[in-house]
Amino acid sequence: MSRQPWLEDAPPAYRGGDRWWLVQAITGILLLVLLAVHLIANHFIVEGGLRTYQDVVAYLSHPFVFVWEIVFLIVVTVHAALGVRSILLDLGPSPRVERIINGVLTLLAAAAISYGIWLSWVIRSQG
Amino acid sequence: MNRGELVPRRRWPAWFDVRGRHVSGWAFILNRLTGLGLVLYLIIHLWVLRLLTQGEARWNAFIALAKTPPFLVLDTILFFGIIYHALNGIRLTLVGLGIGVSAHKRMFWVLMGIGLVLFVLSTWGLWTMTK
Repeated sequence: MSRQPWLEDAPPAYRGGDRWWLVQAITGILLLVLLAVHLIANHFIVEGGLRTYQDVVAYLSHPFVFVWEIVFLIVVTVHAALGVRSILLDLGPSPRVERIINGVLTLLAAAAISYGIWLSWVIRSQG
Repeated sequence: MNRGELVPRRRWPAWFDVRGRHVSGWAFILNRLTGLGLVLYLIIHLWVLRLLTQGEARWNAFIALAKTPPFLVLDTILFFGIIYHALNGIRLTLVGLGIGVSAHKRMFWVLMGIGLVLFVLSTWGLWTMTK
C-alpha cells in the first residue's frame, strides 16, 4: 500500500495495493495506439465520418484489420472491466462480495468479447 | 461500545468525497467519471453495431441519423471523455510507476493543454466532415 505514497488522493485500490493495477496501466497504454488507429481508420479518414454498410464489410474482410479490431475489442474490454472493478472495490466490499464482483465482471467481459468476435465474423462473412 | 469505531465508514466511495481536494484529487474524480461514461459508451457502441447484421438499409439509415446534431453533440462529449481519460491516464501511469512524481501537477496542466488542442481539432473535424 505504500508503493505509491505520492498518490495521497487516490483510494487504496489504486495505490499499488492491487496486482491488477499494472494490467490496467498496460492495457491503457495499448489503447492509446489501438483506439487512435480505430478512430482514424473508421472515422477520421472516412468521407462523412462513418463507413457505409458495404464499406464496413470490405474493411473487416481484410485479415489484418479483423485481427486488429479483435485485439482492440479484447484490450478495451479488459481495461473497462478492471476500471469498473476498481471503482466497486473502493466501496469496501467483503472478500465474498469481492469474489462475486470479480466473477460477474469476468463473465460480462467474456460475453462482450465473444459477442464482438461473433459480430465481426458475421459482418465480414457478408462480403 | 461505539459501533462507529468498529465498522469502517463505507457509505460512499472515497473518490467521490470532494472535501479538501487538490487538483490531483479532482483529476482523479474526473478520470473515473469519464471512465464510467466510456464504459457506458462501449456497451451502447457494441449493441448498435448489431445493426450491421440486419442488412444494408438498417445500417445506412442509422449512419444518416448519427450525423444529425444531437448525435454530434454526444460525439463531442465522447471526444472530451476519451481525450481527458487518455491524457490523464498517461499521467497516472507514469506517476504510478514512479516517473515524474515531483512534476505531476505540471504534467497534468501540460497534458491538459495538449488535450485542449486535440479536443478543438477533433471537434472541428467532427462538425465539418459530417456536413
